[in-house]
Amino acid sequence: MSNVHERLRRLLFLVPYVSKNPGVTVEALARALNVSREDLLEELDLLTCVGRPPFNPDDYIDIYVDNDRVYVDLDQRLFAPPRLTAGEAAALAASAELLRPAAGDALQSALQKLERVLPPHVRERYREMYRKIDASAEAPQALGPLTRAILERREVTFGYASPGRPAEPRQVRPYELLSHRGQWYLQGFCHTRQDSRLFRLDRMEDIVITDTPFVLPPDARADVPNPARSRSEDSVRVRFSPVAAPYVKERFGQDARPLADGGVEVLVAGDSERWLTQWVLSFGGEAEVVEPVSARAAVARAARASIGL
Amino acid sequence: MDRTERILDLVALLLDAREPISWAELREHFPADYGGSDDAAERKFERDKAELVELGFPLTYVQGDDERRDGYIVDRDAYYLPEADLTKEELAVLYAAGSAALASGVFPGRDDLAHALRKIGFFAGQSLPTPRVRMELGAVQEGQVKEVSARLEQLWDACAARKWVEISYASPKHPNATQRRVDPYGLALRRGVWTLVGHCHLRGGLRTFHVHRVRELKVNTARPRTPDFHVPEDFSLDSHVAYFPWQHRFHEPVEVVLRLSGTLASRASGLFPGATLEPMGEGLTLAKLRVSFLDGLARFCLSLGADCVVEGPESARSRLREMAARVANRHADALEGKVTA
Repeated sequence: MSNVHERLRRLLFLVPYVSKNPGVTVEALARALNVSREDLLEELDLLTCVGRPPFNPDDYIDIYVDNDRVYVDLDQRLFAPPRLTAGEAAALAASAELLRPAAGDALQSALQKLERVLPPHVRERYREMYRKIDASAEAPQALGPLTRAILERREVTFGYASPGRPAEPRQVRPYELLSHRGQWYLQGFCHTRQDSRLFRLDRMEDIVITDTPFVLPPDARADVPNPARSRSEDSVRVRFSPVAAPYVKERFGQDARPLADGGVEVLVAGDSERWLTQWVLSFGGEAEVVEPVSARAAVARAARASIGL
Repeated sequence: MDRTERILDLVALLLDAREPISWAELREHFPADYGGSDDAAERKFERDKAELVELGFPLTYVQGDDERRDGYIVDRDAYYLPEADLTKEELAVLYAAGSAALASGVFPGRDDLAHALRKIGFFAGQSLPTPRVRMELGAVQEGQVKEVSARLEQLWDACAARKWVEISYASPKHPNATQRRVDPYGLALRRGVWTLVGHCHLRGGLRTFHVHRVRELKVNTARPRTPDFHVPEDFSLDSHVAYFPWQHRFHEPVEVVLRLSGTLASRASGLFPGATLEPMGEGLTLAKLRVSFLDGLARFCLSLGADCVVEGPESARSRLREMAARVANRHADALEGKVTA
């Protein structure tokens, strides 16, 4: 996509936006358009030269900054943005699919309304493009109530099945939902543990939105779960066969140390024995824990248990 | 005059016009831009017109008659974005998903998506919800986000314009990258990984490619407004990209029965979406599913632990036992004692 095209799209939105929000600060406008303050001021300069022939004084767009706020006096009929293009509508609809199972009827009706605001000649093209991105349906049902609880700032209760243990009741202030590599997590403050916690959505049962309100802390942000993040004395050394090595290298990059036999070795955080065991088992015999012995034993026990020993 | 400025001037002129504007008039209005030879001026205007159409500007040429002259005119009603009257919930879902996809750094059509979000938020004013949904998608390593994002953007444009792409593809199964020409049919996201589906000229059939394994990518630039291929009417991304490891189409599908106990029994529908579930009481669930890649299923079951048991067929049972025995034996010294599958 050319720079001219991007710039035009931005400018055709900028004028109506200021027209609708007179006195918007330069800062807020730059944020809304995702450009720097300097770039925005340049764009505003350009717009003052835009108008229609015969280019009398009244034929120009009259847009100006006063006391760090932006106003437009003459918008030259640019008082509303152009309709969505087929590409814009298709990208929006495809992204909305990410939340489909959680969004229920709201998504369906939103997409219908979206289609209605497309110019008729664009609709067919939109439908064709929409078929070309499929980002659908990995979101679990629990996203629906949890999204609502986050928006309404209400605490939730649910049963949480930690691996190997029966479900335990939790009361949580829900802050943020995070999808990482297709796995969904809720980040929030857990009253039961008196600490910030990340919960996997697929381990929650019987979610209830309570009437207990809470205040969202400004810095609530979930950390992405990353097994390679914390190297410490507890790190576990895992070795992979030459068959698995290319896939491990793909994920760990430089952190995967090549071995003489064509395999690779990585160091991963050893703070969750359960996670580590599951992960090693998922390679079906192409991975081996080198040390510590306790982790080796855990993997051996889990593998034996799978065949009833 | 700067090209951006000229096109915006054209927009202002055409939005204001009540009568068609002829090419001769346009040349008069913009003498410095559409001056020079007729050929050069027309080519320049053709490019501007194409840009206007790309922007969604409903420009048409009307043939004149006794009452009206020839020229270009714009349907204003078709230009302005009408209010979509989205409810709070509808806006929230579009906004949350769109913002999360944008913030993930890897979503095809990012520029388009950013503009679409701005436009649907235009009428909402201050009532726009704050998205509290985040997604980390696609990139295999943190350093790759930029590259994958750029590839997705190129592929999105190529899919939209139906232009073939030339890729250098590094599959972990092969030591060297292969060069292929691919007709991109579409892009699918599965468990955080973006897959390109298209007709591969090298293999002479439909193939899937993980976008993060594409090392180089060039979109055919010849005849940019003419499509290079047609996507078959009955093509669907969903029937070519697996959601789960056992759905890769490596073998003829077989039905596998799993017995889930403990905490897995109540999580069966989330673990094996699409499986037929039979609750057996006392914390037991039977799950039946179609499997076209047995090793993929065996590895997944193994990672679930002893609460996931393969009931049948025997081929699936023995595959899981073999794998488990192999893992147990590789770690045997920690417990002592070899096991047989």
